[in-house]
Amino acid sequence: MTRSYDAIIIGGGHNGLVTAAYLARSGRRVLVLERRHILGGAAVTEEIFPGFKFSVFSYVVSLLRPEIIRELDLASHGLQILPLESTLTPLPNGDHFMAWGDHDRARQELMRHSLRDAEAYEEFGREMHHMAMAVRPILEMVPPDPTSLSPSDLGAMLRLGKHMHDLGSERFHMLYRLMTMSSADFLSEWFECEPLKATKSASGIIGTFLGPRSPGTAYVLLHHYMGDIDGAFRAWGFARGGTGAISEAIASAARAAGAEIRTEAGVERVLLERGRAAGVVLEGGEEIRSRVVVSALDPRRTFLQMLEPESLPGDLVDSLRRYRFRGSSGKVNLALDRLPDFTCMPGPGPHLGGAVSISPSIEYLERAHDDAKYGEFSRRPYMDVILPSMIDPGMAPPGKHVMSIFVQYAPYHLNGGWTDQRREAFGDTVIDTLSEYAPNLKSAILHRQVVTPKDIETVAGLSEGNIFHGELALNQLFFLRPAAQWAKYRTPVRHYYQCGSGTHPGGGIMGASGRLAAREILTDWGQRP
Amino acid sequence: MTARYDVVVLGGDVESLVAAGYLAKAGRSVLVLEGRDHLGGSLVTTEPVSGFRFDACEHFAAAIAPAVVDDLALGHHGLRHTVADPLVIAARPEGPPIRLIGDPNATARGLASVAPEDAASWPGFAKRIQPFIDLLTRIYTQVPPQPGSTKPADLGSLLHLALRARGLGKTELFEFLRTFPMPVADLLDDWFSDDALKGALGALAVRHLAQGPRGAGTAFGLFHHLAGSATVPRGRPIIQGGVGHLAWALEVSARSRGVEIRTGVAVDRIQVVDRSVAGVRLAGGETVQASVVLSGHAPRKTFLELLDAEVLDPEFVTDVERIRYRGVAAKVNLALAEVPQFTGFREEDLRGVIMLSPSLDHVEQAFDHTKYGEQSGAPVLEVVVPSVLDPSLAPEGRHVMSVWVHFAPYHLRGAGWDDQAREALADSAIEMLGRYAPNLPGGILHREALTPVDLEERFGAPEGQINHGELTLDQILFMRPVPGWSRYDTPVRGLYVCGLSTHPGGGLTGQSGALAARRVLRSRP
Repeated sequence: MTRSYDAIIIGGGHNGLVTAAYLARSGRRVLVLERRHILGGAAVTEEIFPGFKFSVFSYVVSLLRPEIIRELDLASHGLQILPLESTLTPLPNGDHFMAWGDHDRARQELMRHSLRDAEAYEEFGREMHHMAMAVRPILEMVPPDPTSLSPSDLGAMLRLGKHMHDLGSERFHMLYRLMTMSSADFLSEWFECEPLKATKSASGIIGTFLGPRSPGTAYVLLHHYMGDIDGAFRAWGFARGGTGAISEAIASAARAAGAEIRTEAGVERVLLERGRAAGVVLEGGEEIRSRVVVSALDPRRTFLQMLEPESLPGDLVDSLRRYRFRGSSGKVNLALDRLPDFTCMPGPGPHLGGAVSISPSIEYLERAHDDAKYGEFSRRPYMDVILPSMIDPGMAPPGKHVMSIFVQYAPYHLNGGWTDQRREAFGDTVIDTLSEYAPNLKSAILHRQVVTPKDIETVAGLSEGNIFHGELALNQLFFLRPAAQWAKYRTPVRHYYQCGSGTHPGGGIMGASGRLAAREILTDWGQRP
Repeated sequence: MTARYDVVVLGGDVESLVAAGYLAKAGRSVLVLEGRDHLGGSLVTTEPVSGFRFDACEHFAAAIAPAVVDDLALGHHGLRHTVADPLVIAARPEGPPIRLIGDPNATARGLASVAPEDAASWPGFAKRIQPFIDLLTRIYTQVPPQPGSTKPADLGSLLHLALRARGLGKTELFEFLRTFPMPVADLLDDWFSDDALKGALGALAVRHLAQGPRGAGTAFGLFHHLAGSATVPRGRPIIQGGVGHLAWALEVSARSRGVEIRTGVAVDRIQVVDRSVAGVRLAGGETVQASVVLSGHAPRKTFLELLDAEVLDPEFVTDVERIRYRGVAAKVNLALAEVPQFTGFREEDLRGVIMLSPSLDHVEQAFDHTKYGEQSGAPVLEVVVPSVLDPSLAPEGRHVMSVWVHFAPYHLRGAGWDDQAREALADSAIEMLGRYAPNLPGGILHREALTPVDLEERFGAPEGQINHGELTLDQILFMRPVPGWSRYDTPVRGLYVCGLSTHPGGGLTGQSGALAARRVLRSRP
């Protein structure tokens, strides 16, 4: 086969598909190559047990950039986001804390726990919304090189400086504090209600190897306020058909624009000619040529697996070896015979259409982290639980349900390594802990699938099972993501680009990396994006 | 009759005394008021048993800002000050210790036999981080710029800093930005494999921090600790007669310039008229007039206790209330009948800083207890034997030993820091010392344990935090002591602040006093 393309995208995850869609829309011949039989990478829906569909890995969506939904017209390609209306935090004493999406109900529930927090909550929401707005332009920009004196970098740095200046000193200081503080400390300045603080701070630890008391966990709180619902408690949503439906919608948009997509086409390596990328070699040996190659894989795979290290500068190889993945989370997916019954809120009800967060206190989360620090999975883990079949009945046979349990901490580097036995022990721990709050759970389980970080690596292809293609830590963000001087979606190999979550802004099903990468490629082609 | 001074300085710790000295040197009439009976703050030497002099609180002071010693002629006023040869001894439970000295190649040669894998890495590590330390030292000797500010002074200092930072070169600058917010454990894991080596450096990075080495931002703690040093590790200032003699020399120097110093005098109020300072009122009712008050106290005391509530905006008060102190260290001081015999040590090793911190996990586990309000059963110990370098501190043949014990939270769960908890702390420290120096427990003539609560009561360390505010990324530079007020002035005209709660937070001894004095002098005609 001698067909040639303008761009080959390695990896059919959501970012790869976004890049493909944007390049195809500007008239380019694009080929996406996906190793698995389905598209989506970590954003896939699979029928693991007959009749039961699971968002096997990534399970909720909030950060998908609105401009991508708009520009690619994802709605007409089938994307439908169903909101998660509430978060229930059951407490060991049989009480609960309920975070409603509805403002008045949220306030009422807060007043039950703390009058002070109910007061603070309003202002907190407003401030965080401002902060999220302040961060948005940063998510939308190609990171400048702060050490460069080139006009474009200086210009971007000046724009960034002006942006900070325009925030005013009070908000600038708040933003700085958010960037450097721990979520526990930051939230303690506002609130006293432990389950409120813990449930909020849980979002700061997801995908990191940090506890809520570690600096650098506060800014992730902002992600909750980047949705379009002003001040909403939780702007998370669920895609009809599961997370894979997001990937399918983007793929459909890409195909409609003329992109070709091949599954079960694993790429062995990037084909180099005279030091430049000229195409790819598939696992079977097939060669496909293209003007540029774009990797949607994580940085380790993009640089160290798709290329020979000799084709890269030594200091880049060093810094990629120091780039940290160390996945810390796992999943348990359950097929249920009936609905779980939570002791704190018995029977069915609207709470089952929202999230259930096992995060009774900051201390609970810290102790969960302590186990992981020394190489064990948490004896009592943090969990974020949803019942997708409650929101989208098509996910399970009539009368039955599917439950998605996100679990932290489950360290990739487990003492003694992950084995089948350890995987099941981990699954048991999760079920046992959750059963303390929903005692009928065990008897309702028809099937269970336990996903360890090792499984995430093997199946979804994310190094060390890190769900964000590398920790979202301060030293791995913005112009340092994935490595100094290579944060602009390019690589030292000409015509070879990167577009995955390991580039700015990365993380979550955001799509921003894929979109910015496409813009940079088009710019290099002299085309206005 | 009411006394009148140009400046009243509150608190008699080292920074306040430095400021007083500079102000008097510039011709101001200055009164220093210290509520306690001793000067020096946390740099204090006591003699609880006859003949044994303890550096009761801090024993590993930051480098003394050289300009301060010269400007205030401290040598002339009796300061006998050297810097010990850099020497950090990382003790290991089995086998010989690791020795880190100033010459990186010599350190590497020493490592070759005890930690061969790390011998080759050490010089590269020392070379890599030295420019970061130099840049930080530079930042610590000037008023921190306010990012976002468009005032000419801020823009000027930002530009200066940017140029200075550019001097690092592209790769180093990226490394600087990348490294600061890292967990120090990650930084050390990137370079080294020996547990004791990493444990010792990790422990130095989290001194007085409510963080374990796996907490983000603790790499900064290591650089802060090394500020002012041309070597990794750094030597500690050796002040003849004990660290308290620094305050003593400062006192002599200040008095010689006409500064009046009163100890044992509690201040009740900073008096403010029309948002301007008018003077202070003492606990006895006596008032002292001054149009400038420079407070060396922690912000909590200065703003929340000494000022009338209505003087400050609620937002500013909130910022002051939000400062995190969280002392996490306790002090154990020992009078010893004989030289402690650490297994595998050479005689000269006692001249160094001895770290009983066998691994990063050990430090992290010691810290874990702090999160739950418990003291560590297996603590991290930072040990010095000051009498080895200064025999005047103990009778002949005997010794004093000074030990920082991490971690011991100020807010201890349960009964708090009662006598039982205090003795348990000393017991666990001594038990650990005994494992490394078997003759030590039997040779203790006198022991003194100071919990964070004791450190607060005796040395004015808020919540036992001797840095008067945790040195975390959100509480340094333009954020110290509160966001936007890092230039030693305050919302009250005529009220200024200095001390460890202000930039550079004890990163260079005497520097905040010097910078604050300069600020005061610039503001008046």
